Amino acid sequence: MSPSLGNLGPPSYVLGTCADLRPLGWSCFPRMEHEAAQLEKQHVHHVYESTAPYFSDLQSKAWPRVRQFLQGQKPGSLIADIGCGTGKYLKVNSQVHILGCDYCEPLVEIARERGCEVMVCDNLNLPFRDQGFDAIISIGVIHHFSTKQRRIRAIKEMARVLVPGGQLMIYVWAMEQKNRHFEKQDVLVPWNRAFCAQPFSEASQLGRKKQCGHPERSHPYHPSCSECSCSVCFKERCDSKRSHSVDYGPVMARTCFANISKGGEEEYGFYRTLGKSFRSWFFSRSLDESALRKQIERARPLRNTEVWSSRTITIQPSRHSSGDLDHQEAFSTKEQNSDEDVFVESSGKHSEWLRAPGTWKHLDGDLLGEIQKNGGRHVLDGRNTTEDGVDPDNIEGKNPCAGRILRRLSQVASTDSNPDDTISVEQKQADIWGSRAFMRYYHVFREGELCGLLKENVSELHILSSGNDHGNWCIIAEKKENCN
Amino acid sequence: MKLLTHNLLSSHVRGVGPRGFPLRLQATEVRINPVEFNPEFVARMIPKVEWAALLEAADTLHLVEVPKEPIEGYEHNEKFLRKMHHVLLEVDVLEGTLQCPESGRLFPITRGIPNMLLNDEETEN
Repeated sequence: MSPSLGNLGPPSYVLGTCADLRPLGWSCFPRMEHEAAQLEKQHVHHVYESTAPYFSDLQSKAWPRVRQFLQGQKPGSLIADIGCGTGKYLKVNSQVHILGCDYCEPLVEIARERGCEVMVCDNLNLPFRDQGFDAIISIGVIHHFSTKQRRIRAIKEMARVLVPGGQLMIYVWAMEQKNRHFEKQDVLVPWNRAFCAQPFSEASQLGRKKQCGHPERSHPYHPSCSECSCSVCFKERCDSKRSHSVDYGPVMARTCFANISKGGEEEYGFYRTLGKSFRSWFFSRSLDESALRKQIERARPLRNTEVWSSRTITIQPSRHSSGDLDHQEAFSTKEQNSDEDVFVESSGKHSEWLRAPGTWKHLDGDLLGEIQKNGGRHVLDGRNTTEDGVDPDNIEGKNPCAGRILRRLSQVASTDSNPDDTISVEQKQADIWGSRAFMRYYHVFREGELCGLLKENVSELHILSSGNDHGNWCIIAEKKENCN
Repeated sequence: MKLLTHNLLSSHVRGVGPRGFPLRLQATEVRINPVEFNPEFVARMIPKVEWAALLEAADTLHLVEVPKEPIEGYEHNEKFLRKMHHVLLEVDVLEGTLQCPESGRLFPITRGIPNMLLNDEETEN
C-alpha cells in the first residue's frame, strides 16, 4: 500500500446552508448575478439544449403525486407548467388548459410536436400578466438555480402570476437520500448521453448485471408508510386525523395520498432496468458560499490553512458497503428529479474499485490537483494545483478535465486494485466521459429549506402541505388573498 | 400559439410594468386546429379572459367577429360558446411576432412557439 499522502492541504470546506447568508445583502454582489447566470448557462441550459435530442418518451414519466395535483384542479382552470421540459405533464388533464414553459427551446419543440401549447421563457422573468393562472407546477426546476436569491425570485415570479387562492406545487431534489449521501448542496452531475439514446442496448453493453432489478429490495418507489396505507411517505406522521395548524403543517386531509396507485412498478421498472454504471459526481462550488468567503476575506487575510476553497470540487464515490452491491438497481435518478436519467450506477466491480484501499497519486498538471481519500470521500482541492497555472476558477470550462481525471483514476486503480475488479473500468470510464460530461448543476435542498425559503421570503404564499416524494422535497402552497 | 395563450402574455422588458400588456400580435402564418368542443370548459374560461386584448388579437387576425363583451347568459349560449371556443383554442399562430406596446421590443413566434427570452440588459432586475 502506498504511503498516505501527507500534507494534502485543507479538506474541502463544509459550510452551513445558504439560509445563513441572508443578512449579507446580495445587492452588494452584482457580479454574482452574472456568475450565477453563467453557471446556469453552462451547466443547465447548455446541457439541456445539447441533450434534448436524446430525450425519449420512455424517460418522461409523470410523478403520480404531480399528476394527482393536476387532476385535482377544477375543470376550466388555467395552469402553467414552469420548466415543462418535453411536456410530460401537459396532457394529464383534458379538462384544464395547461401552458408549458421552458427555457430550453429544443425541449419545448419536442413538447410542441406532441401537440402541447408551449413557449420559451425564463422562470426569473415570467412574461405573464399578474394573476393569470389558477395553478402552477414547478417540478425539478428550482434546484437548477445557483443562488438563493434566484431561487427566491423564481418562486416569487410564480406567485405573482397566480390568482389569489391559486395553488403552486414545487418539487426539488433532496439532499437527504436513501441510498446515497450528498456531502454538499451544490452539485455538478455528469450526464451520460449513451443512456439517453438507446437505453436498453447501452445498458447491456456496459455489462450491467442486475438489470431487471429485484423489486422487493429496498424499494424506493413505494416507501410505504407504516402508519397508514399512504404510498408516499411524508416526514410528518401520516395520521391524517390530526387537525393541522393554521400557520403551517401537514395538511394530510387535503392532500390525500391514499389514492396513489401502487401499480407503479411497471412504470419505474424502466429505470431499474436502465441500470447505471457510475455513481460518482462532482460537487460544485456554491456561489452563495463564495460570496460569504469574500466577505470574510475582506475582514481578515486568508491564511493557507483556511479551510475554504471556492474552487474545491469533491468527487463522492459510491458509499456502499460490500453488502450493498445487490442494491445497485434500487437507486434511480428518476425518483430524484425530472424526466431523464442522470446518474449511472456502478456495477459491483466499479464501486469496489472506487473504494480500493491505498491512495491516489497526485495528478500533476490537472486543474483539480490531487485526490485525497478521506473516510471514503475523495477530494480534489484546486488550491493545491499551481504547477501549470491552470485557472482554477474556470471549472465549468474544463470539461475535458473530468475525462482526464477519471482516466488517471483508472490507471492508478489498475495498479492498486485487484485486476478482477477493474476489468473493464477504463473502458467504462471512456464510455461515460466520452460525452465530455455534460454536467448539470443542482442545488440539492435540505429538509425544511424549501419551506423556510417560502416562509421567510415569499409572504404572499401560504404553505398547505409539504413532504418528501421519492427523494424530492415537495410543497404545495397557496397564494394568499389580498396581496399584490 | 393560441389566442388564449396570447391573452396571458405580457412584456417584461425593464421598466414597462403593466404597460407591457397586451402584446401586439402580428401573424404571417396561422392554422386552424380542430379542438373538441367542451362547453363547460369554455364557459369557465370566459371570466378569465382579458376581453379587450382578445378583441384586438382577433381583429388583427381578421377572425370571426368577437362580441365586445361576454353576452349575458353566455354560459348557456352554445353559439357564443362555440365562437369563443374557436377563437381561443382553435386558432393557432404558427409564425409571427408579439410586440411590446411600450418598448416596441419584438418577440418571435416560430413553429407555433413564442420565444419570450430577453437579453440581460433588457430584463427587470
